Amino acid sequence: MRTIREHFAVSTLTLAIQGALLAMFAAPLVAVAADADQDVATLTQPTNSVEIGAENVSKKSAKFGEYNGLNKSGADLIGNFSARGGDAYQSYDGGTGVTRWEIKGTDLGTTSREVGGAVSQQGAWNLGVNYDQLRHHITDSYQTPFQGTMGGNNLVIPGTFGVIDATDDDAVGTGTQGMTANQLASFRTVDVYTDRKNTSFNAGYTFNRQWSVQFDFNRLDQSGAKLIGVSMSPDALGVGAGEKVATLMNPTNYKTDTFDIAATWLGEKGHLTASYFASIFKDGYSSLSWSNPFIDSGGGSALTGSAPAGGAFPMNTFATPPNNNFQQLNLLGGYDFTSATTLAGGMSYGRNTQNSSFIDDPLLTSALPQGALNGLVVTTHADLKLTNQTSKDLALSAGLKYNERDNRTPSNTFTSFASIAGDPWGAVTNAPVSNKNYQLELAGTYRIDKKQSVRLAYDYDDVKSWCNNSLANSFQSADVVATYPTYYTNSACVQSPSSKEHKLSTNYKLKVASDVSLNAGYAYARRRADINSSYYNPMQTSAEGLQNLGYVPYFEASRREHILKAGINWQASDRFNVGMSGRYVDDKYDAALGVQKGHAWGLNLDAAYGYSQTGTVSAYFSVQRRQRDLLSSADKSPLATPANLWTNRMSDDTNTVGVTAKQKDLMGGRLELAGDLSYSLGKTRYSTQIQDSTLCSDITCGSLPAIRNDMKKLKVTAIYAVDKASKVALTYLYKKLKSDDYYYSAYQLGWTDVTVLPTNQQAPNYSVNVLMASYMYSFR
Amino acid sequence: MDLPGKFFAACVFAGSLIWSNAALAADLTQPQAEARVTPQWKGDAVCTHCHDESESRPILSIYQTKHGVKGDPRTPGCQSCHGTSDNHLKDKSQPTDVTFGENKSDAKVQNAACLSCHRAGKRTRWEGGQHQANDVPCSSCHAVHASVDKVRNRKTQTEVCFTCHKEQRADSLKISTHPIDAGKVVCSDCHNPHGSGGPKLLKKNTVTETCYSCHAEKRGPFLWEHQPVNKDCTNCHTPHGSNISPLLKSRAPFLCDECHDGPHDSPNPYGPGAAVGRPGSGGGYGDRSAAGRACMNCHSMVHGSNSPSGAFLHR
Repeated sequence: MRTIREHFAVSTLTLAIQGALLAMFAAPLVAVAADADQDVATLTQPTNSVEIGAENVSKKSAKFGEYNGLNKSGADLIGNFSARGGDAYQSYDGGTGVTRWEIKGTDLGTTSREVGGAVSQQGAWNLGVNYDQLRHHITDSYQTPFQGTMGGNNLVIPGTFGVIDATDDDAVGTGTQGMTANQLASFRTVDVYTDRKNTSFNAGYTFNRQWSVQFDFNRLDQSGAKLIGVSMSPDALGVGAGEKVATLMNPTNYKTDTFDIAATWLGEKGHLTASYFASIFKDGYSSLSWSNPFIDSGGGSALTGSAPAGGAFPMNTFATPPNNNFQQLNLLGGYDFTSATTLAGGMSYGRNTQNSSFIDDPLLTSALPQGALNGLVVTTHADLKLTNQTSKDLALSAGLKYNERDNRTPSNTFTSFASIAGDPWGAVTNAPVSNKNYQLELAGTYRIDKKQSVRLAYDYDDVKSWCNNSLANSFQSADVVATYPTYYTNSACVQSPSSKEHKLSTNYKLKVASDVSLNAGYAYARRRADINSSYYNPMQTSAEGLQNLGYVPYFEASRREHILKAGINWQASDRFNVGMSGRYVDDKYDAALGVQKGHAWGLNLDAAYGYSQTGTVSAYFSVQRRQRDLLSSADKSPLATPANLWTNRMSDDTNTVGVTAKQKDLMGGRLELAGDLSYSLGKTRYSTQIQDSTLCSDITCGSLPAIRNDMKKLKVTAIYAVDKASKVALTYLYKKLKSDDYYYSAYQLGWTDVTVLPTNQQAPNYSVNVLMASYMYSFR
Repeated sequence: MDLPGKFFAACVFAGSLIWSNAALAADLTQPQAEARVTPQWKGDAVCTHCHDESESRPILSIYQTKHGVKGDPRTPGCQSCHGTSDNHLKDKSQPTDVTFGENKSDAKVQNAACLSCHRAGKRTRWEGGQHQANDVPCSSCHAVHASVDKVRNRKTQTEVCFTCHKEQRADSLKISTHPIDAGKVVCSDCHNPHGSGGPKLLKKNTVTETCYSCHAEKRGPFLWEHQPVNKDCTNCHTPHGSNISPLLKSRAPFLCDECHDGPHDSPNPYGPGAAVGRPGSGGGYGDRSAAGRACMNCHSMVHGSNSPSGAFLHR
């Protein structure tokens, strides 16, 4: 008994001690469990967040703020939020709910804002709405004497402005620089931008595992304007030579509604999606009208600085984009014959229509053959691809594609407008071009062993172009027949009615070692085009000359193309990776005149290093080079004379370098730093030479100054966790653009051609500092 | 044991019981509570028993994604994608049947796991597409376990694509771009990386159809068409970025010269005097056909004109 008692006594004590020990260990264990709960919840439950702050932009710049809404100097609000919820997020805890919802808003304080929300029952239905705004800032230095709102379609210069001196046409002289003080004072600076607002709605319903439907709608609402060049007649009747040029704000008063309704069937081996797509474009305007300040409305004689007769300038008009619709039926599907053999493809049938009334152009002098275009383009597409991988080491595929753009728009001859080039143009005919192409793709990939594989492919592309209308194919302008009886005898609406291209390509992959992989590829393509040697465009007349015979657009000319690609990647360790890749393309064209050859190459070097568990740094460097050689003739006659041949070489070079770094867990895990530095230098140069150097002057020959754009960007972000729910973010952004571009010279007062109205638009140079500070609160 | 000792022991024991109950209560709030376990979750538990919140990669974040919604009978469990992985369960040093990522399981094996469910719609043309043919695994772009998949977030998508498409990364830093940096136009607005019936993995059947999705004002059909526009926008434009605004492959008049030679001023060779002007005494001004917008100072309706007097694309 004693023993038993002693045992009991010992057991009680032992139990007590064990209990004490358990309690001592349980306390931290419970704390650990609580932390673990928190960790689990952090991983499995959505985190909601609200961010509020302010940002300050040091300088105004339309280019810096082109898309980010930070175009003005001063303060902006930072506003972002995101919240998610629903019982679908309880799955880890054993929940079986399928409902989830989400609302979010980003960049709310700028014109680049977006808000949206969605709710769904996964596997049953889904609904979503979204609003996305983007203001595209085009320029803040454009100056114009035209009155009227940016985005309007009537730009007027009052008669009191006075007729601009353009008497010194095509010669060095006063030109527009001779504008009166009153005229110069009439110029105002306008911020030119377009607003793009997308409002979208989507809904889906899943009937069962086999059937589901999805509906998507988007309205794209555009307003504002873009800049556009316009020519003006040198006299009120529009028949004198010597056009005058202005830069106008072309309104973008557009609405585009897009619908997409799709039904999907998913079977065991096959699946099919049938859909209807519609895009309906509406332009709030049909035309843009503007005053012609270069002439007197009475009869064309310049009254420099004086008000035009009747007190108002004559108005010019051009047509803005016409309303149009595009509707398309689509079928997309696939079928698995076996686990190794699959057939997939799609078909589309679309109709693009346009029947907006033609505008009433003041220059029109007689009745039109039709009041609207009655335009119709039927697009057809079909593609089918069979893939097979019966053997693990051999994958084969064969594909066919067909695309047709059948333009059934009627052709007519228009004789009812006057010329701005001196002589009446006579009759011209619209040429609605159709084209179609057949493509065949055959490819095979063979795995030689575990380390290497090779791929061979053959592509064939057959292109045909034509006009459906006999008028567009046979129309012979009387003046062309009279001027060039020997040449242009076989008018047709296309220069290259057909072409065929064969392309062979191969690619080799090798795993040199467990940490080094390499790939290299080569492709050769040969395009042979049929060229209509007596072609002239029925939209042309002889008054201003016709295309020199033998001149072929580069995208239609016969061509030989070589493509070389290679890359190597070295995964030195889990933490360090370096890779290099490159590409070279060489094109040679078989055209007597036009683009003769071109080449392009690019080289990319990347490295990434994780210097600790919490820190990474990566860097990249890219070089891009492109060159194109053009051969042309200064003749306006059909046959080019050797002495008049000239060449133009374009060189386009870009170097890009960047470094990014990220460091977490500083200051006891509270601070996170991120940095992004990039530099891009682009240079484009042109050089023109004439075969007969005696014909050279700085007007006709020589190298143009490089178009040079030098862009630097530095962004540093620090995020400090005040506590588990609160963070403070501080971001510094610096961007600098140095743009040397001769483009702007032509529009400066003092540099403008006598016939060009200045805009004084400046190159988009900027050097902007932005400081952002925000408070982020997270909650569940 | 004396009374005080017993009392002390009893207090310690009682205290330990209280703590133990607290710990037990805390445990009950954890998902290991068997009574609340669903069949799907049970399947996952084989894996999450080890691969829990302490993993350096956020394995459990999958429960924030559609792949974690167990109430949807289509939702996979860990072993639906990774395989039953018997060897791994016996020996943790062995990999699972299917491991995802670069240099893991064969790309075809990885992708088969995804395509077993995701084969219709946008993935219909995956087989034989460029990414499939180049052995790109789905996991190369998608982070299935992450609460937010970077490639499906418009603000971060380009970071993923630029990992391989480095020339496009360089292009996106040029002076003329789509609003890529602002996250307003992203790769997937134009491309379907899962396979396409069009060129270059475009979402639509042709280049023009893709561009008209946003630029419907250029769709026409117009009375006066510009032939290269209807064929392929990339005859003149380079969509990922350019040194010449707006996204042009070359600057007019030289861009126009690549196709036009004869009419009006198109046969004229132009040097700096014409394109830039010659300031100073004896100088001159740039030619309106060569300077600034050059040809497009007048022929500005390069995408087509619907004006009866616009045959030369100037109205």
